[in-house]
Amino acid sequence: MKTKLDEINRNVYNIKNKDDYEYKIKKGLTPEIIKEISKQKNDPEWMKEFRLKALETYNKLEMPTWGPDLSMLNMDEIATYVRPKSKMTGNWDDVPEDIKNTFDKLGIPEAEKKSLAGVGAQYDSEVVYHSMKNELISQGVIYTDMETAVREYPDIVKAHFMKCVPLTDHKFVALHGAVWSGGSFVYVPKGIKVEIPLQSYFRLNSPESGQFEHTLIIVDEGASLHFIEGCSAPKYNKVNLHAGCVELYVKDNAYLRYSTIENWSKNMLNLNTKRAIVGKNAKIDWVSGSFGSKISMLYPMSILNGEGARTEYTGISFAGKGQNLDTGFKVIHNNKNTSSLINSKSISKNGGTATYRALVRINEVAKGSKCNVNCESLMLDDISRSDTIPVNDIKTDDVEFSHEAKIGKISDKSIFYLMSRGLSEEDAKGMIVRGFADPISKELPIEYAAEMNNLINLELERKYRIKKGMSK
Amino acid sequence: MILNETPIRTSKNYGINNIDIDDFSIPEIQETFEELNISGDVDEFTIKKEKNKIDLKYGNGEVLLKQIKNYSNVNFHIIVEGKKNKELQLEFDLTNKNQNLVDNILIEARENSNGIIIIKYLSSKNDKCYHNGLIKVLAQKKSNLNIIFVNMLNNKTENFTSIENILENDSKVKYNIIDFGGKNSITNYYTNLKGENSSNEVKTIYLGTSEQTLDLNYIVEVYGKNSIINMDVKGAIKDKSKKHFKGTIDFKKGSKKSKGNENEFCTILSDRAKSISLPMLLCTEEDVEGNHGTASRKT
Repeated sequence: MKTKLDEINRNVYNIKNKDDYEYKIKKGLTPEIIKEISKQKNDPEWMKEFRLKALETYNKLEMPTWGPDLSMLNMDEIATYVRPKSKMTGNWDDVPEDIKNTFDKLGIPEAEKKSLAGVGAQYDSEVVYHSMKNELISQGVIYTDMETAVREYPDIVKAHFMKCVPLTDHKFVALHGAVWSGGSFVYVPKGIKVEIPLQSYFRLNSPESGQFEHTLIIVDEGASLHFIEGCSAPKYNKVNLHAGCVELYVKDNAYLRYSTIENWSKNMLNLNTKRAIVGKNAKIDWVSGSFGSKISMLYPMSILNGEGARTEYTGISFAGKGQNLDTGFKVIHNNKNTSSLINSKSISKNGGTATYRALVRINEVAKGSKCNVNCESLMLDDISRSDTIPVNDIKTDDVEFSHEAKIGKISDKSIFYLMSRGLSEEDAKGMIVRGFADPISKELPIEYAAEMNNLINLELERKYRIKKGMSK
Repeated sequence: MILNETPIRTSKNYGINNIDIDDFSIPEIQETFEELNISGDVDEFTIKKEKNKIDLKYGNGEVLLKQIKNYSNVNFHIIVEGKKNKELQLEFDLTNKNQNLVDNILIEARENSNGIIIIKYLSSKNDKCYHNGLIKVLAQKKSNLNIIFVNMLNNKTENFTSIENILENDSKVKYNIIDFGGKNSITNYYTNLKGENSSNEVKTIYLGTSEQTLDLNYIVEVYGKNSIINMDVKGAIKDKSKKHFKGTIDFKKGSKKSKGNENEFCTILSDRAKSISLPMLLCTEEDVEGNHGTASRKT
């Protein structure tokens, strides 16, 4: 079987529309700029005050003293709010042609028809399209953009907005609180099972700008949902910033699966924060593929507050030339009989750095809890780097905790075996890498698994093309 | 006093990048330490009482290393020669009369030599004492050294240990560490596998009781090809004791075909005892095999 590397087309992610906006805030971060964003967004007073408080917190907090070097980030060079020339609509035909074309090429409308129960599409700082099947509306499911939620469901939003991820958590959460725009709000009422996934797609087109979408999902008692998040951007020469925030509330006996395929351009600093609070006998599954960005610092977190709460994390990151992907998972066991299962894989090649950084904390009250961590890193050459930095903090005796990690290259024996069956060395390596990523692919709906496999092929293609080029 | 920094930092909220000992001041050191017993095949080793240079890559922080440099009251340069497989034992007993021990021990295993060295720290009486020690091992080509390190100090004594091992081609250094004592027992262990086919095995057993804090920071850098590091750390904690284990295997460029294994198993015997571990694998070389495993559970 031959791998079909030539079928992959990177161009869809690199579609670069003219930087044609309705409004772009001036670069920098001052109280005046924050007030102007708030005015432009027609915020209620409480939200304006919240933004200004967040800016104060941002100015007080220090930059991270660990992880990748962020010195290339200069907030004076970033425009934090860009409103495209489009109002939010529920009809793709009403979306401006160039923006619609971009989402068409990314396959969003097509996916909506085939396999999604609802779609939100954000372009720069605003959601330009939002739609959900009538069947879900009649069941009381709410799926809308965050701005509409702030206006129409103020009590729910006030009770949950940045409560799961507090402003003081770290500097970029505070930044997010000050300049957030766009994102999705989902509420699934008690007992409602949303069988078909919802998807939000975030596209950043404008150069030297940032995207700061806020996703707030509440899955009420006994309900279930699969939410898919995708993101991409064309590549520019200067730094772009993504500092989104995802807050997930999985109430008692509820279930949420949160899947992400992240393919930001390689000038993007992706400093995103995702967190879930999980209730009694509830479960959250995270499925995460990180392929893009220049630097990522991304550590989704589950806080298992309810007795018997569970979480699973299945993640892969693929760090290529010029990329430093510092990713991982955090879990806090805060109640009895909670459990977590973490399965992380990373691949580094062409000088890329992949780091698995994690925290498992099992608190005194979490008696009878279980945690199993499995972490594998694959190095595809000797100019790359792969690190594993997990912290395991166990504060009770009644626990079963285990952590295993492996670092290594593709086994020579495996390559030899596949070559003996007629494959070239490159095809053999490609097949092994795809096999390495297979446990993650299996967790995704088939269309998204195909996209992830395409991204892996694309990265492999680039590696081998570079290698061949060097040998000429 | 901030000690035992990890080679790579992570979030400071996790409380494991270093250890901050705040209820402690460095005592004045008496000039001599007399409760020292040297036994075994003493005549088979060359033992010089001389101050050794302090040139550690890590170690237990500037302040404590400076104390060793300026105020050490026991200084040994032990030379192991020939394939005699002989045993030397150093036993230090910290008591009210010999309350503070600052020792600087250099062990030099010459080419093609082997030997066993046992270093014991005791506090036979229940006096509050202080230990700040350095063990440096230079393992020359084809040497083979077995070091047994025993910490049986009482739980009133502050205990700080810096260990550094430099291994040349085809050398082997094996450590058995029994780490039971000390109020705060802080160990910084560093090995540089600079030679090809070099091998370091470290087996540690620890026990934390009452309000002890054990902070174990083991760092192994692998430079030489075909080298091996096996780190196996096991122990139990009970009462209100705390254990921090920070284990790093760092495969440097050029360490092709090297292998590293790191295992830590902690048995927690009380729900007031706390275990934090940070088993790190760092890798800039493709052709290596690195594994680590940690586990905690009750009996």
